[in-house]
Amino acid sequence: MAALPQHVESIHPALWRGAQLARVHGRTVDTGYAALSAELPNGGWPLGALVELLVQQPGIGEMRLMKPALAELSARPIALLQPPHVPNSLAFSYLGVPVERLMRLRAPKTADALWCAERVLQAASCGALIFWQQHIRTEALRRLHLAAQASEMLLVLIRPLASAQDASPAALRLGVRPADGGLVVDVVKRRGPIRSEMLSITLQPSPILLSPYGRVRRHLPSPAFAGGVPSEVVASH
Amino acid sequence: MLERDKVVVADTMAREAGVLPGMKRGGVTTLSPDALMYDRSVEREREMQREVAFGLLRFSPQVAACDEETIVMDVTASLRLFGGIRRVCELMRDVVKSIGVTVRMSVAPTGQGAWLLAKRGRCRVLKMPSLERNLNALPFTVVQELRPFADWFQGLGCRVLGDVRRLPRAGLKKRCGAGLLDTLDRAYGLSPELYQWLELPPTFSARTELPDRVEHAEAILFSAKRLIVQMCGWLSAQQLALTHATVSLEHERGREAVEPTTFEVALAEPTWHEEHLVRLLKERLGRTELPAAVLAVRLTASSVQPAEPPSDSLFPDPSGSAEDHNRLIELLVARLGSENVERAAPTSDHRPEMANRWVPIQSDAKAQALPVELPRPTWLLEEPIKLMMKNHRPFYGSPLRLVSMGERIEAGWHDSEAVTRDYYVAEAADKSCYWIFRERPVVKTEEVRWFLHGLFG
Repeated sequence: MAALPQHVESIHPALWRGAQLARVHGRTVDTGYAALSAELPNGGWPLGALVELLVQQPGIGEMRLMKPALAELSARPIALLQPPHVPNSLAFSYLGVPVERLMRLRAPKTADALWCAERVLQAASCGALIFWQQHIRTEALRRLHLAAQASEMLLVLIRPLASAQDASPAALRLGVRPADGGLVVDVVKRRGPIRSEMLSITLQPSPILLSPYGRVRRHLPSPAFAGGVPSEVVASH
Repeated sequence: MLERDKVVVADTMAREAGVLPGMKRGGVTTLSPDALMYDRSVEREREMQREVAFGLLRFSPQVAACDEETIVMDVTASLRLFGGIRRVCELMRDVVKSIGVTVRMSVAPTGQGAWLLAKRGRCRVLKMPSLERNLNALPFTVVQELRPFADWFQGLGCRVLGDVRRLPRAGLKKRCGAGLLDTLDRAYGLSPELYQWLELPPTFSARTELPDRVEHAEAILFSAKRLIVQMCGWLSAQQLALTHATVSLEHERGREAVEPTTFEVALAEPTWHEEHLVRLLKERLGRTELPAAVLAVRLTASSVQPAEPPSDSLFPDPSGSAEDHNRLIELLVARLGSENVERAAPTSDHRPEMANRWVPIQSDAKAQALPVELPRPTWLLEEPIKLMMKNHRPFYGSPLRLVSMGERIEAGWHDSEAVTRDYYVAEAADKSCYWIFRERPVVKTEEVRWFLHGLFG
């Protein structure tokens, strides 16, 4: 048997070693958090694939985690399907997502919600679709994944953390728990090696701008980026 | 099918039973007692012909409804647009099929020639010499003017049209009238043809009766499709695009009359495409609840506007155009209802629940300028939740610790929904942040009440 070339991954772009991250064909969009980007294949949220975000409960920072990506994709409309609570448009504009791009969809039944998601993906006119669903069958997941593959959209399905146990065809699954100053992210599934330790991410902007104890709890010197809390806000209060 | 108590048309089953055209009603009953007999209604036939003609307007504005249930249309100018004669014929066949009738279609360089060929069967002739050959081989009874003289011509030994044409013209004109020669000349392209093309009514409103009483809204779709095909023909002939249509479902009339169910189909992007309208109507019908069985459907184009020519940009946007997006929105609205497809239209109000306004996506409410850099939680609860108190601390899953200074919001005295609240950011034991407020105590209640209003998503 001829010796394998030293770099197996040079044979074909779809080939990678177990210890390496996949080099995905499709486009990705930067997560905006360097620590997270470094752990994802091609350094960002994959476009045209199903991404699952498993949250302990809604409202722990999942939107701030996606915020840089959403801001980047906001040249096209962003659909929020079945959001758990009323999305606050002022907050979205504060996070850097233009208000006029937001579209809120509410479906009375799960079947309607899935139909809706499929149509939005088929039309491919939106930049991102964020879909909250408690229970979803594996066939429906596969169908969503297929529909996503035909588009160039960011599809994020937000599900309860408990469903991390179930199998899913998603290309990327992240478990998210709140932590001091941000989140800890558990990479449940990715195209790459298994990562057992948690990833700690400091979210920007922090909701705690001013502490009653006079101590400004601004964030650790994480790399500043557009849309962060400018110092005037802090100063003006 | 009977006309003046004589059989005109009989289906295969009836023919097998021995029913022949020209038989009397009694004769048919003797042969097959359970045969269904219908009286011919010329008006309804004409209506149907008109419906088909409307549908075919998509392909050419020159459509004429002619004698003997035939429609003649001139597609010369449309061949390139639709991609050749075969394609046009296929598309036309689809349109006719969706109206619910069968068709025999022939193509010829002259309208009269096509008319004659269609009488016998389908035939596609593109050149003058082959038209002549095909026409010559037709039995002469296809020509209306020759039929009264059928016996006479048979006596002369004529069987096909070619035989009749060999007879001296002067004699034919004298015996059969000038009409016969005119018809033949038009068919063979020897004299010009004049048609009375279909005139378009300025408004469109079509009605169709359902074959049966229908209880489910989805079952109406087939008949509704028929109306949509007609409307699309009408729209494209006038180069109009639809912005608003009304569908009304008629129920029982008479003593137990029920008001017709009416709904509107509004389009953000004017359209004249059949598939899109059918899809919209399908979703809309799926959502409609019928109070009673439906007998008929009426479709009215309530508002139209001139159609815009298609974009001819060299590099179309691969990621879906604005039109696609509008079409998507219409589809979503049709299925989910306009109250479930919303866009943000924030207002300038201090109260967070008022400032965060969501309106149906097709409404024209304007968003007001937002204060920049106002930190707010991503999620607001529909109704603030009253929090339990434990050890004089608000409690939500775990004791909440206030981690920010208060923000006092006091507004709404002018519309009698006054709020007097102090908002804080609170942190739970698991380090997730909540936006809670304390209602300022009023004179009546001294108790301090805390509410959860937002989540920092």
